[in-house]
Amino acid sequence: MKTNRQTRLAEHETRNTSHQSQVTSHDLGLTNHARSDRVGLGWRPELAAGIFAHFDQIDVVEVIADDYFDSAAEGAGYSWPFSRRQQNALRTLAAQVPVVLHGVSMGLASAAPVETKRLDAMARLVGRVRPAAWSEHLAFVRGGGLEIGHLAAPPRSDTTIEGAARNLERARAIIGARPEVENIATLVLPPGSAYSEAEWMARILEASGCGLLLDLHNLHANATNHGYDPIAFLDRLPAGRIRTIHLAGGKWIPAPDGGRRLLDDHLHDVPVEVFTLLEEVAARAPQPLTVILERDGAFPAMSTLLAQLDAARAALARGREKGKRKLENGNEKTDIAERSVALSSPHFPFSAFHFPGLSA
Amino acid sequence: MSATAFEAFLARLYVDAEALARFRANPRAEAARAGLSPEESASLEQMDWPGLELAARSFAKKRSGKHSKGWRGVFRRFFRRTHL
Repeated sequence: MKTNRQTRLAEHETRNTSHQSQVTSHDLGLTNHARSDRVGLGWRPELAAGIFAHFDQIDVVEVIADDYFDSAAEGAGYSWPFSRRQQNALRTLAAQVPVVLHGVSMGLASAAPVETKRLDAMARLVGRVRPAAWSEHLAFVRGGGLEIGHLAAPPRSDTTIEGAARNLERARAIIGARPEVENIATLVLPPGSAYSEAEWMARILEASGCGLLLDLHNLHANATNHGYDPIAFLDRLPAGRIRTIHLAGGKWIPAPDGGRRLLDDHLHDVPVEVFTLLEEVAARAPQPLTVILERDGAFPAMSTLLAQLDAARAALARGREKGKRKLENGNEKTDIAERSVALSSPHFPFSAFHFPGLSA
Repeated sequence: MSATAFEAFLARLYVDAEALARFRANPRAEAARAGLSPEESASLEQMDWPGLELAARSFAKKRSGKHSKGWRGVFRRFFRRTHL
């Protein structure tokens, strides 16, 4: 009997083989479609030894793509720290465990066009590593020649929906696969917005055809800071588009108005509220999900991180069970309604044949 | 005014402490000086000020590398190399 790891690797190899045969310039065949849920960690150099030692408990690894962009971008004023050798090391990692690439500096959700050199760098990396998927944020990171230094929320307007859709289409054309797009945490409500965050995201997903990387700590922080119900937010999103989940932690910081806000810092353990949201997502999205724990510093013992992965698996299992019950209850209600219609139908004797429960 | 110019104005508020202070002191005049429409100016005047201040501080910390580990470090490295 195959172990979980053997099954996972077999699935990974099948995917790699099949997508190599399907590669065209416009369709790399990247599919983040595992046959079952998988739970893993964000790759950080400090966690490397722990990750290599625990492949049996880590189903997938997410790597920050920008760290591996090659020196071809140097001529354009970039000087990335990693070389072809590091990219080959990444390829070796990808041969052992499913790898997903995560971009952070494209600024796709903007009225301004994304820079071609960034898309080219991602295209080369995707071509070399052949990840299960690649992702980026629904954010803008620069404007008017200024680098903001982080992910900023753009105005949630028709203009940025159209801009994001254009940028995502260019990304697909150059990289060969659509990214999964991620919601960001924002301490400030973006001015000039015509839509709620959920509606804005849903419209971008609809316009672009992209899958969703749903960061549940970002959702928790935004809902806490801006006073909305995260469950209602989930209900407004197309659950079938969710491919990947990010889990992380944060801390409270004092606000200038005397209040406090929740900062998404990736330096703390995942709070219980985020696991509850994961359960809710698993109940709504029947497709297999990839769940990634992001930890950027204040690293605890590997056992603590692995315990959080187990907690994520438990939340997924609870959510799956809840979803199944909901479906069964829904079917039961539908059955009862249909039986009532059948009983009141003038064709009752014939209709009854279609409902074995009634004829028993 | 174009949407890209509005984003550029926002970016300026996030990264330039002096521009933010001028804007806080007189938002309507600063928005007009930047060529923003009355609607854009109004949306900025109704802005979440404490949030804006916190976000600007947070971005400044990230640019200076105080939260440089993990993927946030990518931004720090990029910012130091390009000095845009």
